[in-house]
Amino acid sequence: MRYLEAYVGEYASGKSENAINRALSLIDQGQQVSLIDLDLVEPFYTLRPLKKELEALGLEVVAWETRETMGLGEAGSILKPEMRWVLKRPGHVIIDVGYGVSGSDIFNLLEGFEESQLKILAVLNIARPMTSDTEEIIHYLEGFIRVDGLINNSHLGADTDLDIIRQGSDIVTEVSRRLGIPVVATTVDERFRGIMGEKDHHGNPVRYLKRYMERAFW
Amino acid sequence: MAEKPIQEEKRVFMTGNEVVAWAAVAAGADIMYGYPITPQNEIMHYWTRLAPKHGKKFLQTEDELSAGFTTLGGALAGRKSFSATAGPGTTLFQEPLSMAEMMRIPVVVIVQQRGGPSTATVIYSQQEVNMVTFGGNGEGWRVVYSTATHQELFDYTIKAFNTAWKYRFPTFILGDGYQAKMREPLVMYNPEDRGIEMIKPVASLGLPGTPGKDRDAVHLRNTYSVEEELYDATMPIQEDYEKMSKEVVEWDERNVDDADIIIISHGVVSRAAIAAMNRLREKGVKVGYFRPITLRPFPDEQLQKVAAKCSNFLLVESALGQLARLVKSALFNMPIDNFDTLYKPGVGVTAEELVQRIEKTIK
Repeated sequence: MRYLEAYVGEYASGKSENAINRALSLIDQGQQVSLIDLDLVEPFYTLRPLKKELEALGLEVVAWETRETMGLGEAGSILKPEMRWVLKRPGHVIIDVGYGVSGSDIFNLLEGFEESQLKILAVLNIARPMTSDTEEIIHYLEGFIRVDGLINNSHLGADTDLDIIRQGSDIVTEVSRRLGIPVVATTVDERFRGIMGEKDHHGNPVRYLKRYMERAFW
Repeated sequence: MAEKPIQEEKRVFMTGNEVVAWAAVAAGADIMYGYPITPQNEIMHYWTRLAPKHGKKFLQTEDELSAGFTTLGGALAGRKSFSATAGPGTTLFQEPLSMAEMMRIPVVVIVQQRGGPSTATVIYSQQEVNMVTFGGNGEGWRVVYSTATHQELFDYTIKAFNTAWKYRFPTFILGDGYQAKMREPLVMYNPEDRGIEMIKPVASLGLPGTPGKDRDAVHLRNTYSVEEELYDATMPIQEDYEKMSKEVVEWDERNVDDADIIIISHGVVSRAAIAAMNRLREKGVKVGYFRPITLRPFPDEQLQKVAAKCSNFLLVESALGQLARLVKSALFNMPIDNFDTLYKPGVGVTAEELVQRIEKTIK
């Protein structure tokens, strides 16, 4: 089974953290994985400080490096040429889609998107104002070309507690029921391991996240 | 008209730029004028998403000069207008803001500081202190709130609108690239729900009635051709500014009474300063802390009182002495034991390096 997954969501929803953790979990199973930083708004920042560290863990990371971007302007919006072909790469392909006004249209830039089995997964945090309840989330998801799965990543950073995770699961599960889109997982920080178990109270699988993005710029 | 922008007080998790956009909505801002520049772009992005839902407007201008002048125009027309910029954009804002100082036009500008000089790095620095405090021609009649957390970004953006409209001086929120982009929790609220009354804007131009018949003509001036005329116009404004200063000046001081050394910082660097103070206090080192929240007007008297207790200072900032200039001016003529500095232009400051630095100095 070859996984092609794209993680989309609001600023600070946890897209990158989810993408990195997913990619590394596949590496742990000894498989070939490419992690793509597909961000056209400020493409030189997101994964940049982590690139070397992630490559050392065995990931193939497709992202700009500072020295490659000399002369391209302050935050220059340019697609790294090899990103166009990422769906053709061997092994699993995990794409971290940067937030953008037209973030969902970005898939048209990927060669073979139409016929690919790319799964678009929406990362949702109910602590974010525009995705804080069922109606808002449904409205938000309408902006995408399509969404194949939902991830409840509701959190308040260091102030996260079980309440917010549970409320998030309630809301995301309700969205799932209404739209007929499955909940792929509830994702939580590792410190909840041992408290949460393997499934949340709605029976959604729980995935534990190790924090990498704290060391990134944004 | 749209419903209440924030239904109920609640904890949220956002980037600083988004916080500013929400705060502007909560404060009842009517229109944002702006020109894109990193690291403030998402204030505009987010405002344009929120604006249609709440009956607000947005105009993207051709550059920051125009963004500045249109912001003044909005205020003259009786709209709560604001803008956001950074770096070279702040440079271009100086001309419209000088005009606002002279014409007493209430404007709110959020500056997310980036590195300089020139276009330079886009990420972070504290190098726009000179520009926001005294950057224009004239006398620096501005109010500058330097924030340190997302909660403060929210609180002070709301406050800035009231300060601007009450005193009619240009009012800045001074953030930086880190505050713009980092994420942390905060509580959002409608100011009215907390008993904060938001001042209603009034138009200066386009008033009803016939000038000279129903009402006096409105004569707004920015230009004074004769020296004495300028003198007569500026002195009352200076008086107003001094009177206002006592009412708006804000600062934070901690553990200064028994301190052997006091860290001075502003903005996001204060987070490292507080953490360093707490760690060193645990080890028995008597560290105090002083932070100006308004950089303009500066809490001169408050700092002088602190210096009378302890004047062994470590001043730290992500710039080459821009905060230090304001501090030295406040301490002029006071006996000072020691004035150590840590200048890191464009670079963040950690609690660890402050702890190390102080441990070395104390021994």
